[in-house]
Amino acid sequence: MRPQPGSPWRAVALPLGTILGMAVAWEVVARGADISAHIFPPLSVVLAEGWRVGPTLARSVLRTFIETGLGFILGAAFGILCGVAFALVRPLERALFPLFVVSQTIPVVAFGALVIIWFGNTILSKVVIAFYLTFFPVTVNTHSGMLAVDPQKIELMRAFGASASQIFWKLRFPAALPTIAVALRLGVSLSLIGAIVGEWFGDTVGLGVMLIQAMYTESVPRLWALIITCGLLGASLYAVIAVIERRVVWWRTDA
Amino acid sequence: MSSPDPLAREGAGESPTIPLLKLVNVWKRFGDGPSQVTAVSNVDLQIQPGEFITLIGPSGCGKSTLFNMIGGLLPADDDGSILMNGEPQKDGELLGKVSFMPQRDLLFPWRNVVDNAILALEIEGVSKKEAREKALAMLPDFGLKGFEKHYPHQLSGGMRQRVALMRTFLFERDLILLDEPFGALDALTRAMMQRWLLDIWQRYKRTVLFITHDLDEAIFLGDKVVVMSARPGTIKLQETIDLPRPREASVVTSEAFISVKRRLLEAVEEESMKTFGSDDPAS
Amino acid sequence: MADRRLMAKSALGAARLNLGRATALQRFLPLAVSLAVLLGTWEIVVWYFDVKVFVLPAPSAIAAEVVDRWPILQKAVLATLNEALTGFALGIAIGLLLAMVLVLTPPLEAALMPVLVAINCVPVVAYTPLALIWLGIGPASKIAMVVIAVSFVILLNTLQGLKRPEEGQINLMRSFGASRLRIMWTLRLPAAMPSLVNGMRVGIVRAMIIAIVSEMLGAYRGIGWIIFQATQQVNFLQVWAAIAVSSVASMVLYLLLVWVDRKVVWWK
Repeated sequence: MRPQPGSPWRAVALPLGTILGMAVAWEVVARGADISAHIFPPLSVVLAEGWRVGPTLARSVLRTFIETGLGFILGAAFGILCGVAFALVRPLERALFPLFVVSQTIPVVAFGALVIIWFGNTILSKVVIAFYLTFFPVTVNTHSGMLAVDPQKIELMRAFGASASQIFWKLRFPAALPTIAVALRLGVSLSLIGAIVGEWFGDTVGLGVMLIQAMYTESVPRLWALIITCGLLGASLYAVIAVIERRVVWWRTDA
Repeated sequence: MSSPDPLAREGAGESPTIPLLKLVNVWKRFGDGPSQVTAVSNVDLQIQPGEFITLIGPSGCGKSTLFNMIGGLLPADDDGSILMNGEPQKDGELLGKVSFMPQRDLLFPWRNVVDNAILALEIEGVSKKEAREKALAMLPDFGLKGFEKHYPHQLSGGMRQRVALMRTFLFERDLILLDEPFGALDALTRAMMQRWLLDIWQRYKRTVLFITHDLDEAIFLGDKVVVMSARPGTIKLQETIDLPRPREASVVTSEAFISVKRRLLEAVEEESMKTFGSDDPAS
Repeated sequence: MADRRLMAKSALGAARLNLGRATALQRFLPLAVSLAVLLGTWEIVVWYFDVKVFVLPAPSAIAAEVVDRWPILQKAVLATLNEALTGFALGIAIGLLLAMVLVLTPPLEAALMPVLVAINCVPVVAYTPLALIWLGIGPASKIAMVVIAVSFVILLNTLQGLKRPEEGQINLMRSFGASRLRIMWTLRLPAAMPSLVNGMRVGIVRAMIIAIVSEMLGAYRGIGWIIFQATQQVNFLQVWAAIAVSSVASMVLYLLLVWVDRKVVWWK
């Protein structure tokens, strides 16, 4: 049997308890201390506000989720392909990798306006931003993961008469998976950020849109409700990746 | 896999059978010009089918380089050649012809015991189902019964070595190369593994070339002990071990054993001192 | 100079890994060439297909705009750099301190980690409107945002780094009579350096991005503000100019950190 990770319930119980504790503390402190509701509304008010705009909130979550998901999947796939290509074809790496690094220092989120021009005020433009933010860490990690394969293991496979393709699929790629997984976890968070900021540049539906609207109307409870919603969305996405990682890449990296 | 030719055991002199492996004037140099290093020089060696040959020498004498060449990972320099069953082998031709076990177990952490053991078979093209069946059948012999679904990090060092050995034996080739497989084990485990290895060797009838740095181990295990000199590594002397088989644990204190050891010890010590004392590694 | 024995044994390995200290020129030459090729192709494509300025301006046009508007751009990029670096420094201090405290008091870590993870789950940008409302449109809100983003990265990385030393090494120090603080100072912190510097590299790029993004929502000055204004005025050439300037600034910061990385963690 595969080695059992810690019971999932125990892993959830402690954080859950702490969060509930935090929620209670929030409520008590906000009501008790003399802070303007404008700055620090009690949790109950925040939740009520969230409930009030329920349908819109749900629609926004769905929209942002789709943008994030698509951008992430495309970015991850592209990133893995690039990482593999760079690891296997050294001249390619020398030529293109520096450009990759440079491209990451460009504050791509500032591109938002231009992306809208190029791709229209549609889902596509957000997906593009999310894609752009994701593929770089995935490429870097795929590349370094593949290069870090134990050379003695490669020699062993050669001694058994393995072809290059066999060495890739049976050794190099599996060995790189733990490192790739780390990048994927990062990528999903970045995708979400990309989607939200992309929405700031002009859209009608989405969590980013609701954030801007709440800012202009200075409705702080709504802002807090949105923050919590974003947090939940971010956590779920992260959790999905973490679960997949547990099942596929459950071993720690090579000793 | 033929049984050992009794004539071959007599020692010096040409044997009537074609040697399984023959090294003729094998050299290996690295780099060129003034900084060139000769790892292996002028090695002549013959291995008959079914033999168990042990190779001993000081650190850095080129034992592992020699193994890499026999395994096909490194080509021999043009001066000499390696012949398998009488056929000279071109560069890389030996890949996949010899079952090679390096010093580290090199198990893949994402594969369980059985899947690690069948790695070479998979590469060969044997169907996973068939390969797994073969491995499962071998598990009891290797003391791994019940551990088929375990993963490397759940096993002790000795068990991991046994999985690696199983992988080596499953790859059905006439010649097996073992590079200090018991080096990392404690003395007690090592003694048990040595006896167990001889048992397996006689059962599965392969030809074994075994590197060690332990003279007792070399004499205990081998039909023939080959002593290598310090770098540049060449064969200093070969000695046939006439001790009867199967070898009991008590043989290490017998008169015959001790006299062989006395002879070989002098040679081995001499080479070890060369490496340890005056040799200046800086260039 | 190399040890001959090691050379012979690892000739195979070394040839594969191709390690070696490249000179600065060797390191940057491929980059320079790639950039030159990229910019050259870009310029030619724009000219050949007569691409409209609002779709994709030529590098030469962007460069001209940068030169034209340099006084404004310079003030803006300095303001943004100011915010980013202040937030960066504060973020490192907070992240490092918090990491050390958490490692020294495990119960605190167990209690606090879920909270920190929860806060971290929220995409940083979602806090921006709140920061603007609480701290106004001045630089304070931007610095606060950068601090949040950077301190998290530093915290997580440093935490991982501080925990790296094996039990054996820690027990060794304890057997010498070392206190927890001493262990922290002599063993954990040096061991955590690579992770910390790694976090700093990620953090500096994030710092610039977060500063710019925050400015876009409301500011008195800064590159992000310029971008936002230029977008409102449909002056895309200026948008590109601002992006170019901020990219160069980010790159300089990043390279600075790569240099720090080599100097501080020379034993890697």
